[in-house]
Amino acid sequence: MTSLIKDPLLWILLVVLAAAVLAVSRARRTNLALRRTRKDLEAGLGQAQGRIGQLEAHIDTLGTRHRGELADVRADAESATKAVLKSAMGTLQSLAEEQQLLLDQLLKKYGNDSEVLADLMSVDHTGSQFGRRAKGISVLCGGWLGRRDGAATVYDVARSAQGRIKDFNRVAIHAQVSVAVAGKAVEPVAVVLAELLDNATTYSAPGTPVEVNIQAVPTGVVFIVDDAGLGMDQETKDRAATLLSADGPVDITGLGDPPRFGFAVCGMLANRYGFHVSVGSVSPYGGVRAVIRVPESLLSADVIAPAEPEQEPADEGQEETPQRLAPVPVGPSRVVGTTSGGLPKRRRRQGPIAVVPPPQETAALDEETSESSGEVTASRLGAFARGTQLGRTTNTTEGPDHQ
Amino acid sequence: MTGPAEEAPVTSDFVRSYVITGGRSLPSSDELALHTLVTLAPDRTPPLGAGPEVRAIWELCSGGYLSVAEVAGHLGLPVGVARLLLTDLSEQGHLLRRAEPPRAQNVDRATLEKVLNGLQSLIG
Repeated sequence: MTSLIKDPLLWILLVVLAAAVLAVSRARRTNLALRRTRKDLEAGLGQAQGRIGQLEAHIDTLGTRHRGELADVRADAESATKAVLKSAMGTLQSLAEEQQLLLDQLLKKYGNDSEVLADLMSVDHTGSQFGRRAKGISVLCGGWLGRRDGAATVYDVARSAQGRIKDFNRVAIHAQVSVAVAGKAVEPVAVVLAELLDNATTYSAPGTPVEVNIQAVPTGVVFIVDDAGLGMDQETKDRAATLLSADGPVDITGLGDPPRFGFAVCGMLANRYGFHVSVGSVSPYGGVRAVIRVPESLLSADVIAPAEPEQEPADEGQEETPQRLAPVPVGPSRVVGTTSGGLPKRRRRQGPIAVVPPPQETAALDEETSESSGEVTASRLGAFARGTQLGRTTNTTEGPDHQ
Repeated sequence: MTGPAEEAPVTSDFVRSYVITGGRSLPSSDELALHTLVTLAPDRTPPLGAGPEVRAIWELCSGGYLSVAEVAGHLGLPVGVARLLLTDLSEQGHLLRRAEPPRAQNVDRATLEKVLNGLQSLIG
């Protein structure tokens, strides 16, 4: 036993054992501590991840709100711009109207002087173009066109539209029908047709004709505008289709610089008044064919003149130069006294007053009334009687102060 | 749909006069003076493709002689525009023209008194 105790090996073993126990217990403690730490860390990580999730959600909400607010601000800015433009254009519109009224008077006042008249007409022409622009922008900004009392024939609507563009004398109008457009649709259709004619004349070679054919269809009347230009590329077609089918407000800042209002104005007015505009098809002359379809509800019930077949087929050969006077249905000859002869409604018409009875002889061109001296008294008496009769029945411009 | 309150009425001429003339230059006033009388030549039919204004002239002038000024007044057009349309019709041979009736000349008082006496003896 003592030998065992004295055996250094035993002591060494004991020491090693003690050290091992110590080491194991320390390692165990360390392990436990590490586990605790890991648990803590995992919990921390979980929390952190939760926070991150919350933060991401918050960022999302902030982003959404930001986008929403940005859109609101944009919409506000747009509507503010529109409001300003609308009121400014309203002023310009009424000024343009005032100018046209003034010109109407001036044209009649100086009507006898062909030089002054021609100058006034060119002023009138620029004024009409100016008025069209103002009306277009005003419409895009939510404004209104003026209202015309009374219906107008489709031929007059087309001529009115023709007068609002620059190259109006390249436009030839062929009306196969003589129905009238109801008063409330007269200005919108004229403005839309003017925009289409402006496109047609602008995007086709100078000198080529632009034709307007007006035809009856089962659902109403169509205005077909054909030009001999190069047509539209796909991008323009898509853009046009989008603008023409828009059923809400139009973003005026997105119309380019310089802004191209035409199709936007057409789409807006067509949507507002309930007619239909399309520009997708190709004209027989290779250019664009634009079509306005006016439904029956926007046509006036009273037909101003009976429709008669067109003398010249619409899709036949193309004239070399734009035609000056468009063929329109012609009433039977010598229909004196019937108002269904297609007369413009604006004209108040009384029966014509014959100053001198119709000639007995047909060859009376520039005949100077020569009087033989023997018949002087009789002829003077006759003239006197006719004069007094005329003076009683009418107040025409005949009279000494006008001679 | 349309707000009636916002729609100001528009009363200017719907079809502008330069469209009616087709942008052509206007004839000078020497050709058809204000007082020149025009009427339709007998047995004529309106030209093909006559516009509403030409047809209106056709109706106006079919009743007898009218002066150029009266035609313009009835049409509500400037005289120069009516003159252009009338010149067209005249060149196509549809119109007869004659100069205005001569102005009455001053007659001496004695003649007038004779007329007055004659009338009084007729009526009275």
